[in-house]
Parts: sequence; structure tokens; C-alpha cells
Amino acid sequence: MTVLIEVEHLVAHYGERCILDDVSFTVHEGEILVILGASGSGKSTLLKHMVGLLRPTAGTVRYHGQDLIHMEEEERAALLRRVGISFQSGGLFNSLTLADNIALPLREHGGFDEATIQALVRMKLSLVGLADAGHLLPEELSGGMKKRAGVARALALDPEILFFDEPSAGLDPITAAGLDQMILSLRRLLGLTLVVITHELTSIYTLADRALMLDQGKVIFLGSLAEVPRSTHPRVRQFFQRQPPARAVAATS
Amino acid sequence: MAQLPHDPPVAPAAAQYVERVAPEACLRVRGELSSAAGAELYRAVQALLAERPSEVRLDLAAVPRMDSLGGAWLVRVADVLRQAGVPWRIVAASGQVQDFLQLIRPTLETPPPPPPRRPGFFETLGEAGFAALEEARDLVELAVDTIYWGILAPLGGRGLRWGTLIEELTAIGVRAVFIVVMMNLLMGLVIALLAAAQLRQFGAEIFVADLVGIAFARELAPMMTAIIVAARSGSAIAAELATMVVQEEIDALKSMGFNPAQFLVVPKFWAAVLALPALTLLAMFAGTLGGMELGVLVLGISPQAWLRQTLAAVTLGYVLHGLLKSVVFGATIVFVGCHNGLRVRGGAQGVGRATTRAVVMDVVLLIILDMCFALLYEFVG
Ligand SMILES: Nc1ncnc2c1ncn2[C@@H]1O[C@H](COP(=O)(O)OP(=O)(O)O)[C@@H](O)[C@H]1O
Ligand SMILES: [Mg+2]
Repeated sequence: MTVLIEVEHLVAHYGERCILDDVSFTVHEGEILVILGASGSGKSTLLKHMVGLLRPTAGTVRYHGQDLIHMEEEERAALLRRVGISFQSGGLFNSLTLADNIALPLREHGGFDEATIQALVRMKLSLVGLADAGHLLPEELSGGMKKRAGVARALALDPEILFFDEPSAGLDPITAAGLDQMILSLRRLLGLTLVVITHELTSIYTLADRALMLDQGKVIFLGSLAEVPRSTHPRVRQFFQRQPPARAVAATS
Repeated sequence: MAQLPHDPPVAPAAAQYVERVAPEACLRVRGELSSAAGAELYRAVQALLAERPSEVRLDLAAVPRMDSLGGAWLVRVADVLRQAGVPWRIVAASGQVQDFLQLIRPTLETPPPPPPRRPGFFETLGEAGFAALEEARDLVELAVDTIYWGILAPLGGRGLRWGTLIEELTAIGVRAVFIVVMMNLLMGLVIALLAAAQLRQFGAEIFVADLVGIAFARELAPMMTAIIVAARSGSAIAAELATMVVQEEIDALKSMGFNPAQFLVVPKFWAAVLALPALTLLAMFAGTLGGMELGVLVLGISPQAWLRQTLAAVTLGYVLHGLLKSVVFGATIVFVGCHNGLRVRGGAQGVGRATTRAVVMDVVLLIILDMCFALLYEFVG
């Protein structure tokens, strides 16, 4: 398996407070890596460091062996164009319609003519099941639609890797499950690599090829779900021993 | 599929990726379907349509891969064919291409959404008119609500929220004292300077005192004060209420059985209605003082003479006119601020819009009201 991203000995602070303490792992091409952890454990912070939005105190992040942290500004911008990010709260531009939100990166970076842009926008919208919603403003969308729209925009420039911050937070279980299915079909059809932050057990079991768990700035678990029972770390056991989905289904039927 | 001799490609010589398989209307694409191949396919389809074929086939057997740009061109091809009313299909796609086609099939099969309709001039005008009327109604409704809860209900024995009132008085009134005094002092100085240059030509410098005194009592003190309060507090009120709407605090209030007007608007209303005349009175003094400063320092008129002249010119009527106006201005600023805050739409960005809108509306309304007062004073007395 080819390595796409390497995170090595990443240390990050907000002011004096240490948020990430010597975090190392790799992301392989084509896999879905799920990042877990309690609220405030630094998941979003890790994601922002992985895409160069924040600079670490120490350590490196490499894409295809290239050092993201010490890259020239232009080189980094070019690299990040191949990275899609769906932010925790959507990150949609409120003043633009959905179609214009998706068209924005295409207009700025693509050098495409307007008819091509419109066709691309229609394609991306229908990928996430929002074919009829292009003319709406973000404020007119429900929570689930906003998340989908965020994905459509993240997909605008055909990224090779998609980062996904809490896709199902604040959504009902049915919409959340729909979103998980969407993520899976995108991976299958576009061959995307995905890094997904979540703490929904259902999503974890549906999506994860591998999982990484953060606690107090350290990686306390890294591996496939099959390896979870072998972990002796109390936080890991505690996390996975919450009501597992199979038992929840059994209890209600 | 091998090319048969009696079946030569008739696509243009420049064709790199697309060949025409005659006599049927079939276009065969070779190589990766991306930007270049897609554009060529699009042109070939347009050329083909000139022959009015009964059906068009796109043969993608020799396409190993396609990407989003190729997909976008296919979408455009589908649009052209749909418009021409020619049925079409894709044959022999496989592997990644087939997967990709499946993914974008909904887009290929549905027409583009119609462009948003641009309303005509009169329609826009009519809509704007209705919107303005509706807004005026909302504003009046808010004012009526406030006056009921702020004046009639307390008379009927329902208390005011004194603690909040004092907080609001501090915010709207006390904290504005310094800036109101400073601005009016400077304004008085400037007006006196302007007037002196003119009146000096007639040796009538002492009348500068009359002019400054009357101007500040009737016009400048109420107006300057109101504009300062609109900028300071009108905007703050709009932002505060808009944030409360966005964070569902207003809904929470309503669900607890509170009337937002009673709970939020009334204290601000009373604070502004009390603070504005007080500030305006201060502004009148400050303006006069500013004028006097110039009179004493530049025109060489004694302070006593200046004061005597001012007191003789400025009647109680002028002062009351100014103070009454300031009461109306104060109420307007609160209504406009609250109204714009409460009608906010669309998250954080809406808060900014509501704030701007409140201040602009304040300034416009203040000037219109000021004009009404002036006319009323002239013709009714
Ligand atoms: N911009 C910031 N400045 C200071 N502290 C922050 C900032 N963003 C997040 N934090 C703190 O860092 C910790 C980790 O935050 P975050 O990465 O958002 O956690 P998670 O996404 O896992 O819930 C939290 O305790 C949070 O309060
Ligand atoms: Mg987070």
C-alpha cells in the first residue's frame, strides 16, 4: 500500500497549552482512516495541522514524501488544491448560493469556461444528492443538506484526499447513516482517500478501515477495528464498550 | 472493433480522440476522456446534429479512464442532444468509465435547472413597494406594542424592570455624555467661525451669539445628539437583538411567555426617551459654550455680553421644540434598532447587515422627521 500522508512527531500548542503531544501515523492511499476521541481531545486541531491551516510547534506532515510544513507558500497552495476539506460547521459562504459556493474554487483555480463550470457544478451537486438545490442559499438548507453541500464543495477540484470533520454531528441517525453511505460510494467511485473525524460508533463501524484514537494529545490506539479488543488502554476499552450497534438493534426489536 | 474498409472515418482531420463511424450516427472516442477529448466530442456531436440523425450513439469502448472534466463535457453533450430532441445512448463503457457514468447518470438525464427568473422593472418596483409597506407596518406594530407595555401596562399596575432600565440608561445616556459634549463644543466653534466671517462684514459680530444659540436649541443639538446615539446605541441595539434571534434567545423568551417588546424593547425605549433630551440639553450648552469660546477669543466679545445676547435670542419655545424633537428621535432610534434586530435573517452575516441597515435607516428617518418638525413649526407655530 502506498503511503499518502505521513505525520511525524507532531507537537502543537494553543498558547501555552499543549494540544497534540508527539503524534505520529500514516494515511495510506485509498483507505478510510477514522480519527476518534472525546470532545476537546484535539481532533479538529490535528486535522487543521494536516492541511497546513495551523503550524505545529514541532514535527512534520508529508504528502507523497514532500514536507508540507516547510514548503514554499505557492507550492503548498498547489498541493492543497488536491485536498478537499469538509468543515465541522460546513464552512459554506453564506452570501453565495450553493452552486456559486461550488463554482468559486473552479472559477478561481480552474481556468474553465462558464459552461464547463456549470456542468461541473451540476455533477458535484448530484454526487451528493442535491441536484435541485443549487439555487438555494446556505441559510435555506437543513443541517444534513449543509454537510452534503460542504462535501460537494470539497469535491469541486477533484481532490485525491478528503478530510471530513464530524460529518454526522448534530444530525439524526437516518440522515447520518445516509451521509456515511454517501462517503462510502464516493470512495468506491472516485477512489478517494478519506480522513474522517467522528465519535459515532455506528459511523466508525460503517466507515473505518483503520482507526486512530486521541486522548490528552497522545495517540492511544492506531489500527484496524479487529485490533480493538486487544487494546489494554482503559480509555479505548471504555470508548468501544458503549452500546455497540448490534446490541442496540437487538434491544429495540 | 477493427475499422472496416467500406466504413471510413469522416471526422475532421484534426480529430485526435473522436472518430465518426459511418453510416450510423456513432462517435467513437479513443483514449482518456478528459478535457481535450471531451471538447472534441462536443464539437463532433454538434457537427453530427446537422445531419439530423434519428439516434446518436457514443462508443466509449476504447476509453480506459475518464475524469470530472470529461464528465462535464458529457453533461454538455447530453444537454445539446436533449435540446435537439435526439435520443442517444452510450455503448460499451467498462471499468472505471462505467462506474463514473453511473455516478453522473442523474446529471446526464436531467435538464439543467432554469436560470433564476429576473423580475421586470415594474415587478421589482411593486415588490419593493409592498416590502416597504410591510416593513412600515411591522415598525408601527412594534411601536404600539412598546407603548402599550411601556406606558399603559405600568399605569395599570404592571411594573417596569427598573434594574434593566438603569443599565440601559447608563449604556445609552451616561456613556455618551463625553462624546456628545465634545462634538457639540467643536461644532459650536465651527458654526461661530462660519457665521463670524459673514456677519463681520456688517459689523454685526454680536449676532453670532444669536445664530449659534438658536441653531443649537432648534436644530443642531437634537440632530447631532441623535446621530451620535444612533451610531453608538442604535447599532448596538440592532446587533444585540439580531444575535439573540440567531441564537434562538428570542424564541426562548417567547416560549417562556414573555413578550419580546415588553422584555427587551421597553427598557431601551424608556432609557432613550429619557436620555436623549438630557443629552440634547447638554449639547445645547456645549454648543453655546463652543460658540462663546470663539466669540471671546477671536471676536473679543466679553462672556457676559455673549450670554446676555444668547439668553435674549433663545426663547423657551426653541428649547422645548428641540427637546420634544429629541424625545421623538430617541424613540425612533430604539424602534429602528429593535425592528432591524428582530427581523434578522441568516446567521452571523445577517447580524452585520441588520446593524448597518439600522444605522442607515436611523439617519434617513431622523432627517425626514427633522424636516416634518421644521414644517410643523413654520406653519402651525
Ligand atoms: N483557536 C483556539 N485557541 C485556543 N484553544 C483552542 C482553539 N481551538 C481549540 N482550542 C482548544 O483545544 C482543544 C482541542 O480542540 P479541538 O481540536 O477543536 O477538539 P475536538 O475537535 O477534538 O473536539 C480544546 O480544549 C479547545 O478548547
Ligand atoms: Mg472538533
